[in-house]
Amino acid sequence: MPIIQVSKLNKLYRTRIKEEGLKASFRALVKPVYKEVQAVKDISFTVEKGEILAFIGPNGAGKSTTIKMLTGILHPTSGEITVLGLDPIKKRQKLSYHIGTVFGQKSQLWFHLPPTDSFALLGAIYDIDKSTLKKRVDELTECFELGDFLKTPVRKLSLGQRIRCEIAASLIHTPDILFLDEPTIGLDVVIKQRIRELIIDMNRKEGTTIFLTSHDTGDVEKVCKRAIVIDQGQIILDHPVKKLKYDYLNKKIISVRFDLEQHLKAPSGVTIEKTGTMGARLSVDTRVCSIDEAMRWLIAKGGVADLTVQDPPLEEIISTIFTSQPEVV
Amino acid sequence: MKIKKYLTVVRISFQNAFVYRSNALGGLVFYALFIFVFFNLWRAIYQSGEAAGYSLNQIIWYLCMTELIVFGCKTGIFSEMNEDVKSGSIAYQLNRPYHYVFYQFSNALGTMFFNLIIYGVLAVVLGLIMVGPLPDYKLSMLPFGLFSGMLGILINFFLMMTLGFTAFKLEDNLAFFLIYQKLVFMLGMFIPVEFLPKWLQNVAVWLPFSYIAWAPAKLIVDFSWELFWRVVPVQVCWAFIAIILAIFMYSYGVRSLQAHGG
Repeated sequence: MPIIQVSKLNKLYRTRIKEEGLKASFRALVKPVYKEVQAVKDISFTVEKGEILAFIGPNGAGKSTTIKMLTGILHPTSGEITVLGLDPIKKRQKLSYHIGTVFGQKSQLWFHLPPTDSFALLGAIYDIDKSTLKKRVDELTECFELGDFLKTPVRKLSLGQRIRCEIAASLIHTPDILFLDEPTIGLDVVIKQRIRELIIDMNRKEGTTIFLTSHDTGDVEKVCKRAIVIDQGQIILDHPVKKLKYDYLNKKIISVRFDLEQHLKAPSGVTIEKTGTMGARLSVDTRVCSIDEAMRWLIAKGGVADLTVQDPPLEEIISTIFTSQPEVV
Repeated sequence: MKIKKYLTVVRISFQNAFVYRSNALGGLVFYALFIFVFFNLWRAIYQSGEAAGYSLNQIIWYLCMTELIVFGCKTGIFSEMNEDVKSGSIAYQLNRPYHYVFYQFSNALGTMFFNLIIYGVLAVVLGLIMVGPLPDYKLSMLPFGLFSGMLGILINFFLMMTLGFTAFKLEDNLAFFLIYQKLVFMLGMFIPVEFLPKWLQNVAVWLPFSYIAWAPAKLIVDFSWELFWRVVPVQVCWAFIAIILAIFMYSYGVRSLQAHGG
């Protein structure tokens, strides 16, 4: 049986709107006008136990709103949610013993106290007895390598250290599901990589189901087996990451700069997106032309001064997804 | 409801209070300065005789006590909740196995304990230096005065929390807080209720504000059973109402919560 079941979920926000000008301000004071915004539109999906699922989409797509409804913080306008067999709204407290949440941009640790104190507090909140708590904290300390700064006030930790503590803190009560909302936001490449490894480890060791939202294609590629793409409150895609990669992450961007003037004539599979006299930006369809071939072709031209190969940004992939709907079945 | 988790919250927030050393020190200086200024003001007023049944000695101790309640209860609960609701970090605190209202209360208790201890010591020291001990003071009655003080603190805390919860619905609710502060200040904290015009006294009896600082301070300084039975039952009622209001505002707010900040 799926661990999370969502069917025909909707969330409407009502916001006040005001037209320009003083007269409108007065009018709004007497008779406010509301506008309804549909943040989540009729979405349905299921998550199996032990899955690592990515929930991706641009800003304002409804990712956080969905997470907040799944964890019982927001009331849905309509639709049904079952998490671990419970209705999150009606059984929020009961459910909270079995789920953990990390909101990358907010902190659950006490700012001026060392993480140990926050762990002790969370242990008490989740009714964990002393010896179990100690064992669990030791385990997490080892796994997340927190030993060096467990006794340092949180305000003195680096962002990477803090996020590790945040994730550890949300795992104190050994939850069945971990919700991660932008866990790697603002982190450097090395730390990002480390956090991803830790998440995968946790999933393997304890079978924790992971529900992750992110902007970062890296998070999705490296961590998740399945991805749901959401935009304007609607699910656009629900696919294994492998398929997503094959369909959409098959584009690479090559930026090249030459020492001498070059006139490029692209082979098949390569599109010139921008060109100057001394350089160009090319996009390569790796299904038609491998990176190897593309590089050979460029080097053969001679006079390459600088060359970078990049993944297209997620925003671009998402826009590809929108414009190439027919490719998807 | 398991009480143990709330006690742990109290302990941790008490620990946390020690961190703000310079803050506490600044508060102490401010408290002393405040008392000193009003000490001089009252001394000047009392040049022309006694007022409304308070001796100068009593009025200074009264002032020390009302200020103790106000400074001791400085928890920032209003701004904290306002911030939590507006920034959306309340999301973190909602899906935990506790009642948010009582969690916040336990959280504040730790800070209040700390404040009451440090300001309490200072209040007694300042009172002794400025006017000396109260003549014929019945120390055995002090616990009853302190009990009333606790009720005052409860009323104050939960009313502020109720105001903080208005952030769920209103973009700018600071005005409520300022008005509330001024009402507490005017109806008892700054001057005893007996000093107010008769009609205002009659109004104040029906409002919660004077039961926060005036009632306990008066009981601590000049205890009488007559006063005790007149104010304490009313305090109990107001405390009860304030708690119910806070819980009601919370559940109302949560239902209509529009999560801010993505």
